[in-house]
Amino acid sequence: MKYARLLWAMLWAMPALLPAQTWLTYHGDYSGRRHTTLSAITPENVSRLQQVWQFQTAQNQQIKSSPIVVNGIMFVTTPDNIWALDAHSGKELWHYQYPPNDAFHIGHRGAAVYKDTVFLTTPNCHLIALGAKDGSIQWDVTIADSARGYWSTNAPLVIRNHVLVGVSGDFDNLPGQLRSVDADTGQTQWTFYSTPPPGGTEPKSGGATGGQMWTTGTYDPDLNLVYVGTGNPTPVLNGDARPGDNPWTCSILAINPDTGKLAWGFQVSPHDTHDWDAAEVPVLVDAEFNGQPRKLLMQASRNGYLFVLDRTNGKNLLTKPFATVNWAKGIDELGRPIPDPAKYPSRDGVLVAPNESGATNFRPPSFDPKTGLFIVSAQDGYGIYFFKSDHGSYGWAGADYGVAGRAFLRAIDYRTGKIVWDHPIGDGSGSAGVLTTETGLTFSGDVPGNVLALRTEDGATLWHATIGRTGNAPVMYELDGRQYLVMGGGASLYAFALPGDD
Amino acid sequence: MPAINLSDTDLIAIVAFIHAQKTKFDTLGGERRTVDPQDLATGNAEAGKRYFDGAGGCVRCHSPAGDLSGVATRYRGLALLQRMLYPNGRPEAVSPKGTASPQVTVTLASGETLVASLAAQDEFTMTILDPTGARQTYDKTAVKFTVEDPLSVHFSQLGKYTDTDMHNVFAYLDTLK
Repeated sequence: MKYARLLWAMLWAMPALLPAQTWLTYHGDYSGRRHTTLSAITPENVSRLQQVWQFQTAQNQQIKSSPIVVNGIMFVTTPDNIWALDAHSGKELWHYQYPPNDAFHIGHRGAAVYKDTVFLTTPNCHLIALGAKDGSIQWDVTIADSARGYWSTNAPLVIRNHVLVGVSGDFDNLPGQLRSVDADTGQTQWTFYSTPPPGGTEPKSGGATGGQMWTTGTYDPDLNLVYVGTGNPTPVLNGDARPGDNPWTCSILAINPDTGKLAWGFQVSPHDTHDWDAAEVPVLVDAEFNGQPRKLLMQASRNGYLFVLDRTNGKNLLTKPFATVNWAKGIDELGRPIPDPAKYPSRDGVLVAPNESGATNFRPPSFDPKTGLFIVSAQDGYGIYFFKSDHGSYGWAGADYGVAGRAFLRAIDYRTGKIVWDHPIGDGSGSAGVLTTETGLTFSGDVPGNVLALRTEDGATLWHATIGRTGNAPVMYELDGRQYLVMGGGASLYAFALPGDD
Repeated sequence: MPAINLSDTDLIAIVAFIHAQKTKFDTLGGERRTVDPQDLATGNAEAGKRYFDGAGGCVRCHSPAGDLSGVATRYRGLALLQRMLYPNGRPEAVSPKGTASPQVTVTLASGETLVASLAAQDEFTMTILDPTGARQTYDKTAVKFTVEDPLSVHFSQLGKYTDTDMHNVFAYLDTLK
């Protein structure tokens, strides 16, 4: 019972800032900053980090999830799978495997916890409540119809007794939906649609479907607003079939978690025709902007622009490219890039920057309050985009191909959008997210498969270890006085710490 | 809704058309589509040659009678366009025609100098293919080296092409059968 009570207490009063010892949610906390106050690992001693354990899933699927750590237990997922590990040793406590299913197994972002329950989404859009102690099934509900083309990779977001669950689905014209499920019973509390619900019409959407909310949102307890990014419209590359801006696809939305009602929306890519989801993390920061203390929201979006918004009302404060872009004619009065019709997919192809994988993607960024740097795994890249009427207006409805890219860890001054430093991490695109520490370190991964520690101030490399293809973002926690860094490499988790007594 | 004055024959034809369209798109599904070679045939080969010889600077490394001889026979349609934009390939000791492998000049601690294809690198190490095709890996802090990467020229070019330039150069290369 002690376990359950402690967890309950932590979740009920979950602070907006990261409790140092644990990694409670996909982002660690509600803010999405991925910034830890743990102080044992510093620029002076980081070169002494050594591997203390490795956990092998012994499966083919790459780990693309952020593990969460609660009461000394780590939960890590791949599609259809969740493992509970002893966070000291990496030893498996239990493993739950969902039965084989035909839905898209593209990746999985992680679990969520509540009282003594851990939640897992499955590729075929079930939400399963498992006992945190033993992985026993408490309940299993369907959140969307996978037979229609939905799938889920989502790490749910728990707010009080609401479990917010999103889904994906680009190959069918499906409404974008975010569902809130009662954490105790599995009953649906509300469903929010970013595009018209089944059977509904909404002239503003221009006939667009899509706008899936497949990544984990952030939350401001004072404003009681959840911030979530929405995906691309469908049909994906055929913009002719859906005239207008197509709200609320490719948008940042603020939603009341108790009612599912939209408070405000800001569209980062009006009338997207390049698959540039705005699903990247909306990072919440309280900081000065133009001399005023502000409640800010920052997103480095897949379309290549950094957006800084006032998160109380969604008003734009800054829009600046952080990577190579050639698709916009300018910025409109609302702060939104204006798409250039010359860069819409065409029969003979257009050369577009960024490419489909984007200037960044779901790999999470980090914000370092001391330096004011927003650090993101960025790509300068080009792709070719095609559409002709024979491609139709269902699902992808076009063709596109990445041409080339260069990957960087890129530090941006949030006040100006200016790039302060750029650390090349290889050709193509990075796949690792970012973590910063109060002691001035930035952890992430490069394309060839190293976990890196950089000095936050200038991006200089201070330590590295080769772990294979890095997946999603590193996490940090403290147990019994020892600070751990954990990162996925291939289908394994690697834990690093300073040399101890063991 | 206003009354629609159609004969039974026309109505039947319209219904048949709608069914045919539905069947067509059901068969197509929602997956990614493809590109046909004729979709790409919008450029002007003469303008492409002028760009190749002039503003594009392609002629500095390539020649229609040399490395690009027969390139439109080796690659067709989309594959030719992709090779034109970024001709990367698996590194080999001697690069096959039409591919661009980065070359590295390494000065070892002994003073010996090697020129070889760069097979792989990260921030910390690099692997070269020696003339026999064997892989040699060096710690970057232990050797002096310079990399000459023809792909970096192609990458810079991606930021310079207009779409018209791209289609014109493609049309020109497509004549090099």
